[in-house]
Amino acid sequence: MIRGIYAVVVLDLKRFWLDRARLLAGLAQPLLYLFVLGAGIGANSQLGGVDYKRYIFPGVLGLSLLFTATFAAITIVFDRQIGFFKAVLIAPVPRAAIALGKIVAGALQALVQGVVVLPFAPLAGVHLGVGETFALLGAMLLASLTFSAIGLAFAARFSSTTVFPIVSNAVILPMFFLSGALYPLVTAPHWMQLAAHLDPVAYAVDLMRWALHGKFFFKPVLSLAAQAAVIAGLAWESVRVFNRGEDDSSLGATKFNWRR
Amino acid sequence: MASRMNAPARTDAPAVEVRELVKRYGKVEALRGVDLTVQRGEMFALLGPNGAGKTTLFSILATLRAPTEGAARVLGHDVVADRDTVRRAMGIVFQEPAIEQRLTGRDNLLLMGLFYGLPTQAARERAKVLLEDLELTAAADRPAKNLSGGQRRKLELARALVTDPQILFLDEATVGLDVDARRGFWAQVRGLAAKGRTVFFTTHYMEEAEVADRIALIDHGRIVALDTPQALKTRVGGGVIRLQTEDNARAREWLTEHGLTPEAGGEEIMLVHADPAAVLPELLRTLPVKVQRVEVHEPSLEDVFLKLTGRGLGGEMAAPAGRPGGRNGGAA
Repeated sequence: MIRGIYAVVVLDLKRFWLDRARLLAGLAQPLLYLFVLGAGIGANSQLGGVDYKRYIFPGVLGLSLLFTATFAAITIVFDRQIGFFKAVLIAPVPRAAIALGKIVAGALQALVQGVVVLPFAPLAGVHLGVGETFALLGAMLLASLTFSAIGLAFAARFSSTTVFPIVSNAVILPMFFLSGALYPLVTAPHWMQLAAHLDPVAYAVDLMRWALHGKFFFKPVLSLAAQAAVIAGLAWESVRVFNRGEDDSSLGATKFNWRR
Repeated sequence: MASRMNAPARTDAPAVEVRELVKRYGKVEALRGVDLTVQRGEMFALLGPNGAGKTTLFSILATLRAPTEGAARVLGHDVVADRDTVRRAMGIVFQEPAIEQRLTGRDNLLLMGLFYGLPTQAARERAKVLLEDLELTAAADRPAKNLSGGQRRKLELARALVTDPQILFLDEATVGLDVDARRGFWAQVRGLAAKGRTVFFTTHYMEEAEVADRIALIDHGRIVALDTPQALKTRVGGGVIRLQTEDNARAREWLTEHGLTPEAGGEEIMLVHADPAAVLPELLRTLPVKVQRVEVHEPSLEDVFLKLTGRGLGGEMAAPAGRPGGRNGGAA
């Protein structure tokens, strides 16, 4: 099992490394939010006594992690179509190892993308001391795993990559907007606060904000527990979906469809 | 996770044992009771027209599909009950590419080793040895997509060999390769077979089937012939006369009226006769239809199949060697 997970992670990271130019392209979105949206709105507002750019920095990190992780998860749809996985599926690797490996690999990719954003912290007025950096990295890792699990839970059910932008707009973006990444939840309308309680991204962003600014909406312990629960629940769900294909009369390889 | 590479196969069991195998897809019966035994170390070819059940039988043996009835064992292990054991003991080359095109050959082999549970160092070693064995070392560090067709197929073969399998399944493994590349590929396969591995393959190219120790011909879900290439050819009889005339239908009629038995089907008239030289001059003189072309030759495997199934192997077989394969789809 561990070896199977390891193999999937090595495969995905090798492919990720081939696409390392994407790391730079992936910087565009967070920087746009930070220095265009943030600067524009921040020009005449302060939130909770801090500069707006500084306030949304953890939220923008969350945005970066969220999109990288869900995009990484979508590779499972390609993997079903390309031949290499035909060979993988007749190797004696448990399907569960493939699911868990995908989650870990996606999280690592997201984490790298997030780390690339960190050097811009001073420009946003964020001071990164040693303690803050370690706390933040821990929160980022947890957030990455959460987002990767969310991504895979969706991707495991798609048979085509064209659905991804639709799901991304219909699910991922609302989760981001409701998370309090760009505004404080404390002063948000009541219904939005309620919605945030059901939004894993809110816990992830809140924990990163706590690591960075020491302020929180959810108790940090609650944020930890909520994310751990989401990771465990969705990983279990993905394993279940992947295992379903095992009894398929095609056994996966010739007519590969994990959804059946 | 189990790290053993070779399944503890029963060494006395045949490489492949199939008993009364039936496979139905809904109401369609793709296999209608197949019995087959392949000995260890044999090079065994499975041939048949498209839709004859070839791919179905192959897929069941390679544990990719489950049989509806009957049993199939590979190296003594049931393909359903002991599927993982069979998978560890076999290597398979698919018709379609099964390598990650963007990664190098070396990385592909390394990863496959990891997926089979080898520790990293051992997987790396194995990749190196395979690249050397298959003369791929020079191309090993280029992305697979940049390799030539022949090199890519050899890489597929290397991938199938990562586990050092005792039995190799090749499913039309050389489709689309030019003659040289195909020769190179089969030279490697023969080398593997010479070391005692069993090779079970399907192909559309006749000259490839000739290298088999034995050939099974499958048609309409049943094995209709199973023998050595030589024995299959003698089944056809002394020789084959092929005729192209102005009116083949009339010529057939006339031949039948005169006690000869032209084979059904085919674009030309095919006539099997014990002694073509004796009958041909008379035939050409008296045939009331103008003969455009006549050909006499030793029976080929193609003739055997035409005789036994009434059709060729479907398009590809008769194509000039080396033409890129436009596969006839719909093989069941």
